[in-house]
Amino acid sequence: MRYALFPGCVLRGAASEAFLATVKVTEALGIDLVEIPEWTCCGASHMQDVDELTSLAINARNLAIAESMGLPVMTVCNTCTLQLRRAKAALDSDPELKAKVNEILAAGGYEYKGTSEVTHLLWVLASNPGLLDGKVAQPLNGLKVAGYYGCHLLRPPTVMNYEDALNPRSLEKIIGLLGAQAVDFDYKLKCCGFHAFWTAEKDVMQVTGKTVDNAAKAGADLLVTPCPLCQMQLDMYQPEGREAANSKAELPILHLPQLIGLALGMKKEELGIQRHISAVDKIRF
Amino acid sequence: MAITLKIQRFLGEKKWEQEYRLEVETGMTVLGALIKIKETMDPTLTFTASCRSSICGACAVKVNDNAVLACETLLADLLKRYASDTLTIAPLGNFTVLRDLMVDWQPKYDRLKKIKPALQPKTEFSASEGCRQSKDEFKKYSKNSECILCGSCVSECNKSNLNSKDFLDPFIFSKAAKFVADSRDKDAVAHLEPAVKDGLWKCLNCQECAAKCPKGLSPAEDIEKMRIATFEKKMSSNEGSDHAMAFYDDVKELGRLDEAKLALKTEGLKSALRVPVAYRLMRSGKLNPLEQAKPIGDIEKVRAIMKAAKEKKL
Ligand code: SF4
Ligand code: SF4
Ligand code: FES
Repeated sequence: MRYALFPGCVLRGAASEAFLATVKVTEALGIDLVEIPEWTCCGASHMQDVDELTSLAINARNLAIAESMGLPVMTVCNTCTLQLRRAKAALDSDPELKAKVNEILAAGGYEYKGTSEVTHLLWVLASNPGLLDGKVAQPLNGLKVAGYYGCHLLRPPTVMNYEDALNPRSLEKIIGLLGAQAVDFDYKLKCCGFHAFWTAEKDVMQVTGKTVDNAAKAGADLLVTPCPLCQMQLDMYQPEGREAANSKAELPILHLPQLIGLALGMKKEELGIQRHISAVDKIRF
Repeated sequence: MAITLKIQRFLGEKKWEQEYRLEVETGMTVLGALIKIKETMDPTLTFTASCRSSICGACAVKVNDNAVLACETLLADLLKRYASDTLTIAPLGNFTVLRDLMVDWQPKYDRLKKIKPALQPKTEFSASEGCRQSKDEFKKYSKNSECILCGSCVSECNKSNLNSKDFLDPFIFSKAAKFVADSRDKDAVAHLEPAVKDGLWKCLNCQECAAKCPKGLSPAEDIEKMRIATFEKKMSSNEGSDHAMAFYDDVKELGRLDEAKLALKTEGLKSALRVPVAYRLMRSGKLNPLEQAKPIGDIEKVRAIMKAAKEKKL
């Protein structure tokens, strides 16, 4: 199994531990990743606010490079997945637009064909649970895990149509396969607010605090998310969140590949968990 | 098959949940069930509906915390979706409840008026000649005309949930976007300005509105389009627009995001006040202010693409 990896700025920057964990875990599971050379930022759901066509064109370029590698694309970030899939959906459904974007891409010597699918690590694993067979060396028995999806892996459902956006199950499935117990909580499908950090800070801090509080009250020992942006928001700003939501809850917030790594028998240091801000001491592996 | 509907009731000051057990008939909708309860079990149950054909927008309610049009949603589909024989039904979120499932639209109409929801025809049009536009111009906003004002999009809007005082309802942004995009309207800024004032840049981009609209509108996308229009109309910048611009500029300069400088570009000198957070991030190695971001090797090709895109606007 081989994918062209689109790491995105966050995995190559502030969440480099998620990159580390992704590489280790995919290696252990026999998933071959080749980083897309010379990829650019996907626009992070902000760039299209300036210019839609440019945002579409730079993502078409990212996809065109992956196509020339002859591989499907995998990302580990919800927003990257959405940005790439959104571009793909727009181009594949509108031949006129595709022709127009290809004229633009020609300025850099690229051509978008539409031959590479775009998927996310969570979807790859949920569709191929056999990859974990016999690999879970240290089942997370007794661990209660709050699975937090994050918006952009589910919505808009016209573009992110892997599973039912109103009742998704993929994350619970993986948590279960790792031997842990998925806990249900009211904030599971809500928004962490990351993308409005600068414009609605008060609201964002409040929802950060409420989410962690809600997961803790549901009995979770930790929270796991397939999105590094949600991870950053819920981890880095947990102290401010606690204050805003008047809560005492402190939870470790793990990237999905980190939780998988722990179950595969890796140590928390190997997975970069000590780089997180909140409650890392509660992880004892 | 017998199912249980747990319906949220509200009267005056009293709020309670009431259970009704009923037999699901083939093809029975949520509205069908509500009508059956009212006619055969409990005449006091209050809800609104009119057209029964997904046109009037009166029947939206929350089922298991997600807004749907009661008249078009089959119970069988919901039972399958939630793999359960029990469903909860509640009034739409982010509305004032009048009674049971009936909500108050008047405050929403008052808010809607803020964005001037009417066409102001360009002066070249006249009563005798009419307001003409091409098919392509019509296509730019025709989707937005399909809004039936059902309120589903605001029910679970994550921003409205947190604070709706500084944020208009998603359908109001969609309505404003319609007039901004309409080539017959003489003053886009008249619709844009109140939208900016009341939260255009505060949307969390959670896409709940797009997931819930029964007519396939995307208020989230309409918000994006209006944000673009604020640049085109050279309206004054704010933290939201500066943040978006920072991404655009970084891709042009480097191909990637310059995280170390993002705060400064977005917030200017105010970001210096965020020292505790920055210190926390530096200590854990998440932020390195001394790191010099280098452009990717193919940056010239990226710039050529961005230049070509700018010349060939949508
Ligand atoms: S995308 Fe914006 S408008 Fe739509 S539901 Fe989310 S916060 Fe509300
Ligand atoms: S935008 Fe869609 S969900 Fe919102 S009021 Fe209009 S029809 Fe209903
Ligand atoms: S009754 Fe009119 S939309 Fe449902």
